[in-house]
Amino acid sequence: MSQSGTITAPAAAGGTRPGVRWGSLAMLVLRSVFLVALFGIALASPGFLSTANLMAMMTSAAFVGCVAIGMTLITVGGNIMSFSLGATVSATTLVFVGALLAWGILPAILVSLLFGMLVALAQGLVIGWFGANPIVVSIAAFALIIGIAPWSTAGTSLFLPAGAGQEVLRGKLLGLPIEFILLIGLAVLGQFLLSFTVFGRNLLMVGSSRWAAEAAGIRAWRTVAGSYLWAGLFAAVAGMLLASRYSKGNMDYGATFDYDAITAVIVGGTAIQGGRGSILRTMIGVLVIEVTRVVLLLNGFRQEWQYLISGVIILSVILLQTTVARK
Amino acid sequence: MPLLHLLSPYRRPAAVFAAVLVLLLILDGGRGDLLGSSLLFSLFQMFGTVGPVALGVGLTMLIGEFDLSVAGMVGMAGCIAVMTGGDNPWLGLLIAVGIGLAAGVLQGWLMTRLKLSSIGVTLGGLLIFFGISYALTESRSIEYPNLDVADVLGRKLVGFLSIPSLVAVGLYVVVALVFGMTKLGRDLIAVGSDRRAAVSAGVPANALVIATFGFSGALAALCGTLLGYSLASAAPTGLANVLVPATTAAILGGVSLAGGTGRPGGIALGALTICLLQAGLNALGMSSYAHEILVGLVMLTIAILDGSRFSIRIDELRLSLRRS
Amino acid sequence: MSAILSVDRISKSFGAVAALQDVSLTLQAGEIRALCGENGAGKSTLVKILMGIERPDTGSIAIDGTSVAIRSPSQAQALGLAQVAQELSVIPSLSVLDNIWLGSAQVPLLHRRRAFRQRAQDALARIGAGHYDLDRQAGTLSIGECQMVEIARLMVRDARVLILDEPTATLSDTEIEAIFAAVRALKAEGRSIIYITHRMGEVFSLCDSVSVFRNGRHIVTKPVDDVDRAGLIEMMLGRSFEDMYLCRQQGATGRPALAVENLGVPGVVHGFSMTVPRGRLVCIAGQVGSGAHTVLRALAGLELATGRVSVDDRPLRLNSAPRARAQGIHFISENRAAEGIFGRMSVADNVIATRLPAASRLGLLSWPRLRREAARLIRDAGVDERRLGSMIGDLSGGNQQKILFGRAIGQTPGVLLMNEPTRGVDVGARAEIYRLMRSFCEQGFGLVMTSTDLEEIVGVADIVLTIYRGRLIGRYEKEAITMNAILTDITHPPALTRNGINEAAAAS
Repeated sequence: MSQSGTITAPAAAGGTRPGVRWGSLAMLVLRSVFLVALFGIALASPGFLSTANLMAMMTSAAFVGCVAIGMTLITVGGNIMSFSLGATVSATTLVFVGALLAWGILPAILVSLLFGMLVALAQGLVIGWFGANPIVVSIAAFALIIGIAPWSTAGTSLFLPAGAGQEVLRGKLLGLPIEFILLIGLAVLGQFLLSFTVFGRNLLMVGSSRWAAEAAGIRAWRTVAGSYLWAGLFAAVAGMLLASRYSKGNMDYGATFDYDAITAVIVGGTAIQGGRGSILRTMIGVLVIEVTRVVLLLNGFRQEWQYLISGVIILSVILLQTTVARK
Repeated sequence: MPLLHLLSPYRRPAAVFAAVLVLLLILDGGRGDLLGSSLLFSLFQMFGTVGPVALGVGLTMLIGEFDLSVAGMVGMAGCIAVMTGGDNPWLGLLIAVGIGLAAGVLQGWLMTRLKLSSIGVTLGGLLIFFGISYALTESRSIEYPNLDVADVLGRKLVGFLSIPSLVAVGLYVVVALVFGMTKLGRDLIAVGSDRRAAVSAGVPANALVIATFGFSGALAALCGTLLGYSLASAAPTGLANVLVPATTAAILGGVSLAGGTGRPGGIALGALTICLLQAGLNALGMSSYAHEILVGLVMLTIAILDGSRFSIRIDELRLSLRRS
Repeated sequence: MSAILSVDRISKSFGAVAALQDVSLTLQAGEIRALCGENGAGKSTLVKILMGIERPDTGSIAIDGTSVAIRSPSQAQALGLAQVAQELSVIPSLSVLDNIWLGSAQVPLLHRRRAFRQRAQDALARIGAGHYDLDRQAGTLSIGECQMVEIARLMVRDARVLILDEPTATLSDTEIEAIFAAVRALKAEGRSIIYITHRMGEVFSLCDSVSVFRNGRHIVTKPVDDVDRAGLIEMMLGRSFEDMYLCRQQGATGRPALAVENLGVPGVVHGFSMTVPRGRLVCIAGQVGSGAHTVLRALAGLELATGRVSVDDRPLRLNSAPRARAQGIHFISENRAAEGIFGRMSVADNVIATRLPAASRLGLLSWPRLRREAARLIRDAGVDERRLGSMIGDLSGGNQQKILFGRAIGQTPGVLLMNEPTRGVDVGARAEIYRLMRSFCEQGFGLVMTSTDLEEIVGVADIVLTIYRGRLIGRYEKEAITMNAILTDITHPPALTRNGINEAAAAS
C-alpha cells in the first residue's frame, strides 16, 4: 500500500527488502477482508440501503470526519492526538448560535471559524514554540474550554429559531446532504495540503524527526502551529454544521468526537508516532466507524456498544500493524 | 529567575500548594467561610477519590509511559462492584480490583511484548472500558442497594478522615516507603529516565512496566469501587471527572511526561493541592466552572514551564533584550 | 593458560543476511583481546550473542570448558560476562552508588546496606577512581567519569570477561589514559577483556592480541606483535590499502566564504574567530567538550550565540537555523540518527528535504521536478539510484551520510559545516565522502569540519584550527600541519591541565 509519506511508487523500491513488501501485502489483504466483511454485514442488515439511513450516515460521518481531518494533521506532525478538538466543536456550536442571533449568517460563519482557529492556534503555539507536551496541553485546553464556555452561557443550551439562516448549512445539494459535500471538499483540501504544499511536506518531516527538521532549516514551531490552526478550522466547521442541523448550541455535542476521530485516524493507518499518514485513508476510517455504528443499531444493539467496538478495533489495528511489520 | 526555580520539579509541589492556599485566602477576603469546620473533611474525601488514581497515573508517567485507560477503569470498576457487591461489598471490591489489576497487566504485557506505545494501547483500553461500562449500565446510573456501606464510607473516623481517605493516605505511605527504601524505586527511576540504559544494566524493565500498569489499573478500580459504594450508585465516568484531576495532580507533584522525575510524596502533595482547590472553591460558594478554569490555567502554565524549549526561549528573550 | 571463554562455530542470520558465519574464538584468562573490523563485520552481533541479547542459530559457547547456553542478560551476568556498551547506560538522576549497583542480581530488595557502599568504593579505587563521591548525582559527571562508573559496575559484579565496546570513542586524552589504566588493572587481576575499537593506536598500545572480522567471518587472530598498522587495515578491508586521503588544495582563492569574529556561546565558546576561504577545507581540531562541535552548531543557528559572522561578505544574523540555511549554510550534524536523517521517510524525501521552497510556486510543489531532482542528486552523491524509494533507515551509515551531503549538491556555493562527518562510516565509504568534500571545494564552497580523529584531520585538512576549552589556540597550514603540534595544542596549556578537561567537558 503506497504511503503518502513517500514520493515514489512501491514498484520503484526494487525489492530491496522482500520482508517489508510481504508485510504490507499481508496488511493490505487483511484490511480488504475486514472491509469486505464489514460491508457484507452492512448490506445484509435490513434497512441499510434505505435512503433515509444513507442520508443520516453521510450527515453524521461529516461531523466526525471534519474533526478527523484535523486530528490526522496533528498526528502526522508528531503530536499524537488532541483531547480538546471535541470540546472546541461543542464550544463552536455556542459561538455560532450566539453570533447568528446577533449578526446573521455570514458574520456567524466567520466568527466561528476564527474562534476555532484561535483556540487551536494557541495550543499549537504553546506546543510548537515552547515544546510543551501535546497531551498535557490538550487536556488543559479541554478543562479551560469546558470551564469557560458553560460559564458564559450559564450552563444552558442556546436555541436557534427557525429561519435564522442556519438552513444554508443543512440543506441538500445534488441530492446529497450539504454536510457530506462539505466533508468531501475538506478532505480533498486536507490531502492536498499534505501532499502538494511545502507546509504539508514540512509537517511530515517535523513529524518524522523534529530535530532533523530544525537542523535542515525548517521552522518547526511554525509548522506545528499551522497544523493546529487547520485542525481548529476543521473542528469549527463541524461545530457550525452541528449547530445548524439541530438548531441548538450545546456543550455535549462534541463530547465523543475526540475518540471517534482518533479511531478513524488509527484505522486509516496514520502512524501514531507521526511522519506518515493520509487524509483519504482517514476518511475510510470514518466510513468504517459510521458503518459499524449503523450496523449495530440496525441489528438491535444499543449505541453504547460503539465504544467497545471502537476500542477493540483500535487495539487490533495497532497490534496487527506491529506484528505484521515485525514478520 | 528565582521565581521560576520554585517551579522546578522538586520544589513545585510545595510551592503550588502554598500558592493555592494563598489564592483561596485572598478570595475569602477574611470572611472566614474558607476555614469552616468541614473544609478539611471534604478535602480529604476528595483526596480519597483523586489520590489513588493520581498515584497510578503518576507512576506510569514516572516510568515514561502514560495510562489513559484509568478514566474508563474508574467507571467500569464502579459498575462492576455495584453490580456484584450487593450482598457482600468485599466480594464486589475483590472482583473489581482483580479485574483492574488484570486489565492493567494485560495492557502492560501488550506494550512490552509488542513494543507498542502506551498511548495507543491504553487508548484502546480506555474505549473498551468505556464501552463495557456503557453496555453494563445501558447508559443509566445503577443503584447500589446496600446503603449501610455508603453510610460507613461517608462517616468521619479520626477528626477529618474517613475510610476512603484513610485508604488513600495509607496507600501513599506504603508506596513512598517502598519507593524510598527498596531497590524498586531506584529501578523505576532508571526505567523512566533511560529505558535502554536500564535494560543494558540488567534492570528487568519489562516486568516493572507490566507491574506499574497493573498497579495503576488496580488503584483506578479501587477508587471506582469506593466511589460507587459511597455514592450508592455507579455510572460511566467522563474524562473530566478522572483523567484531568489525576494528570494535573501528578504534574503538580513534579512528574513530567518525559519520565524519570517525581516521587510519590510529590504526587500526594499534588493531589492534595487539586483537592484543596476544589474544596476551597466549594466552601467559598464559587461555581464549579471556576475550578475547571483554574485547573486548566495551572496545567497550561506547567506544560509551558516543562516544555523542552522553554529555557531556550527564555535565553533568546534575554539575549535580544540585552542587545536592544 | 586455560581458555576462559571459547566460542565454537557460531552462525547467526537476520532474514537473508548472514551476520556471523562459522565464527570460532578462544580467550585466555588475563588477556586483552582487540576486536577489529568495519561496521557490519559482525562484532556487535557477537557481543549481543555473548550478552544473551541475541541467540545464535548454530554453534556453542563454553566457559571454563563447560558448554553453556546464554538466554538472557541476567544469565550472562550470572556466568561472569559483562559489557560496557557503546552508548552509556548511566542514569543521570541516580547517584554514583546507585548506578554502580543498578541491575545487579546481588542486591536484595532493601538496597541501602553499608557493605555495598564499601564494595562500590573498593571497585572505584581499584580502577583508580577512588576519589569519586558515591553520593554525587551521575548527571554531573563527565562522559569519561560515567565510563569509569560503568567499569566499576562490572567490577562489583565480579565479571571475569569484560566486553568494552568502543569505550574511548567520545573521550578526551586524559580520560582515555584513565580508562587504559583501569583496563590494565583488570588484566592484572586475571580478568579477560574483549576490547572493540576503531582506533588502530589503541590496539597496539593496550591489547595483547587482535581478532579481525570481515563480512561476518572471523579472518584471523594474532598477537599484536605479529602485525603492523597497514597489515591490520588490509585484513579489515580485505584488499590493499590505497591512499584514502586526497591531496590538499593549492593555489589562490577568492574572497572568504565565511568570516567569524568573536563568536561566543555562554559557558562553551569564548571569542572564537576564523576565516574560511572559498575552496578550502578547514578542520577545527579539539577534544570532546572543547567546544569545536558547538562552534559549528552555533554557526548553523542551532545554539544561542553572540558575535559577528558574515557569509560571502553579507552579515549573518545568528540564532536561527532557517536564516542560516537561507544564506547558504549547510549543516551536517554529529548525531546523524537524531538530527540528520528522517528515519521513517524515503531516500528521495530525505535528499530533497531542504529544497522544497525552491521547487514550489506559491507554496505548491511540482512533483515531476522534485522526482527528477531527487534522482539526479542521489546519483551525484554516489548512491545507487535504485535506492530512491527505500526507507533511509535501511541504508548503511555511509550511504545515509552521502544522502545528507547530497542536500547541498548543485546549490549556490556557500558554506558546508560538518561535525564528525565520518563517524559511524566504514573505511570504504570514508574515501568516497572525502572525495565528495573535495568536489564541494572545487565548486567554491567553503568547508569547515570538526573531528576527534587526529589522523583524519592531518590527512584531509587544508587549514587546521586548534581549540581548547572554547578558545582558539593555533592555526596551521600546509607543511605546518603535524600530529604533534595539534596534539600539544588540544591537550595543552600546561597550567590548565589539572581540572581543565573535566570542567570543559561538563560545560558542553
